[in-house]
Amino acid sequence: MATDAMTQARRGRSVEGKPKFAVAFTALFMFILYVPIVVVVLFSFNSKKSLSVFGGFSTRWYQQFFHDEALLSSLRASLLIAFVAMLASIVLGTMLALALERVSSRPARITGTVALIPLVTPEIVTGVAALLFFAGLGMKLSLVTVILAEITFSISYVAVIVRGRLSSMSDEVEEAARDLGCTPFQALRLVTIPTILPALIAAGLLIFALVFDDFVLAFFTTGVDPQPLSVRIYSEIRMTISPAINAVGTCMLLVSVLLISLSLIVPRLLGRKDSSLDLISGG
Amino acid sequence: MTDQISTPAGTENVTSETPAIQLIGLTKKFGDTTVVNNLTLDIRRGEFFSLLGPSGCGKTTTLRMIAGFSDATQGRILLGGQDVTSVQPHKRNVNTVFQSYALFDHLDIEGNVGFGLKRKGLDKAEVARRVNDMLELVDLQGRKNAKPRELSGGQKQRVALARALVNRPEVLLLDEPLAALDLKLRHRMQVELKEIQREVGITFVFVTHDQDEALTLSDRIAIMNNGVVEQCGTPEDVYERPKTVFAAGFIGTSNLMTGTYSAGAVTVAPGIRIELPGHPELLDGSTASIAIRPEKIWIADFEPDMVRVHGQVAATVYHGATTQYLVNISPEIQLTVVEQNLVRSRHDDRWSDGDSVEIGWKPEHVVVIG
Repeated sequence: MATDAMTQARRGRSVEGKPKFAVAFTALFMFILYVPIVVVVLFSFNSKKSLSVFGGFSTRWYQQFFHDEALLSSLRASLLIAFVAMLASIVLGTMLALALERVSSRPARITGTVALIPLVTPEIVTGVAALLFFAGLGMKLSLVTVILAEITFSISYVAVIVRGRLSSMSDEVEEAARDLGCTPFQALRLVTIPTILPALIAAGLLIFALVFDDFVLAFFTTGVDPQPLSVRIYSEIRMTISPAINAVGTCMLLVSVLLISLSLIVPRLLGRKDSSLDLISGG
Repeated sequence: MTDQISTPAGTENVTSETPAIQLIGLTKKFGDTTVVNNLTLDIRRGEFFSLLGPSGCGKTTTLRMIAGFSDATQGRILLGGQDVTSVQPHKRNVNTVFQSYALFDHLDIEGNVGFGLKRKGLDKAEVARRVNDMLELVDLQGRKNAKPRELSGGQKQRVALARALVNRPEVLLLDEPLAALDLKLRHRMQVELKEIQREVGITFVFVTHDQDEALTLSDRIAIMNNGVVEQCGTPEDVYERPKTVFAAGFIGTSNLMTGTYSAGAVTVAPGIRIELPGHPELLDGSTASIAIRPEKIWIADFEPDMVRVHGQVAATVYHGATTQYLVNISPEIQLTVVEQNLVRSRHDDRWSDGDSVEIGWKPEHVVVIG
């Protein structure tokens, strides 16, 4: 550290000073990343049908969206998928995390690693695998298959987040519950779950946001009707490019941002400094 | 090593004389490692009992077996005369103060302390009353609605104590509860702990590696090493009359010497015979280990009946209240001598390194070990 500071001082730069190119580079990165999103949001309020000329403020595309029964049924389907996948993956992922945190045998450690593979597997591989799996079983593709695929994909996320919280909780806390008269199940219900609740809420919101606008898995595993919203949007813009899609996109963006913000804020509101998303952002 | 080995009490004649805890041949193995080895111990009702030993000696494992968190590989555990060896933790009438405090983060102090009482199904008013009384005892009545993370280390420690004590268990188990506190606070908490124990009259079993803590707090101490009890007795017993080399070395400092016994003296080095009157059990020609505490060795102003030995000061260390001298009485034997700095300070008429001195002790202060 001291050597770093000295090198920097020799170059006539303060320790805190950041090189100019880094600032410019970051700005460029942010610009490229966010401009398309800003354009979508902006043009969702366009009064013209054009996707390149802004004609003035209007909410006509939102009105069109809210009267399009096909889009609305897709929206409901996506909400349903996200909700069910969230609940199921929270339950299963928490069970996995509890088991992995407590059993330290070799098979358990291998299981722990295997359980994390979905985090790094390209989603398209998971999607193809799920499709082949359902086809092999002779299952008809429908919302059920989408939900099943999304759950398997989400369990790993939940397990990682919940394990992070569990590992910072001393084993003695659960023993204290047993000591004070709890059966093993009561200890889980009255002490362990409430202690990791912020992590559960954060994981749930994150999973909801991830699954709600997931495209790849949904595309491979969905049936015909109703389709998840992301798949529906894709099919629509392949035929006609309607600015209504901008409105749909903006709505989805809003939902996602809202959920991610909540998952960051809720643990703080509950008075825990350990927001579980810190794990993901590396903070 | 203990003199308290007793036969297991039958449950039919439980009296006030029945020990609070009886451990009978208690053994714990993890794989091939024996952590607690055939431990037999009685802990009396209402006493402050310490399990003292270095880390890995099996003291915490013993405590965990009493609490029920760890299953005994062999042996039995009796609580108030009842065999609880295979009873689940939540059904044992003991409570634990954990080293990490293990407070429930999602509950406030009132919720933490009242947790056990609620589990027992006491009505709300009774829970509130007892929680209040207990918080008063540990001097935390003002922090009822605080969350554990808002408390200091000492306060958390008191909440952990209150949470366990409020259930009025037969036995309170304490697993190095003061280890995480800084020195000053630890000393204050030691005093408080002792006062609270006197006030509530509950049997305390206290696990610690800190010999001072054990000596200060305990009615009796069991010194553990490698899964066995080396010695069990009052603080005075274990300090003044250590029975094993380990016990003599672990509590305080001891000057240990080994030599051949003959005609009322031990020859510890050529020409150095240490008189050892009143030990008819020692045979001429047998090997004897002896120990003398540093503060029992005088370096001047001898009394007539003292054993005296010549030596040379190798080092002096000034400790404020005391001065420690290292005195060589032979090329191999160095004795530690501690002297109270009563009148003199070492800056006037004390000895310095290399000085020839005479040291002495009363014959009864020489302890034969093993």
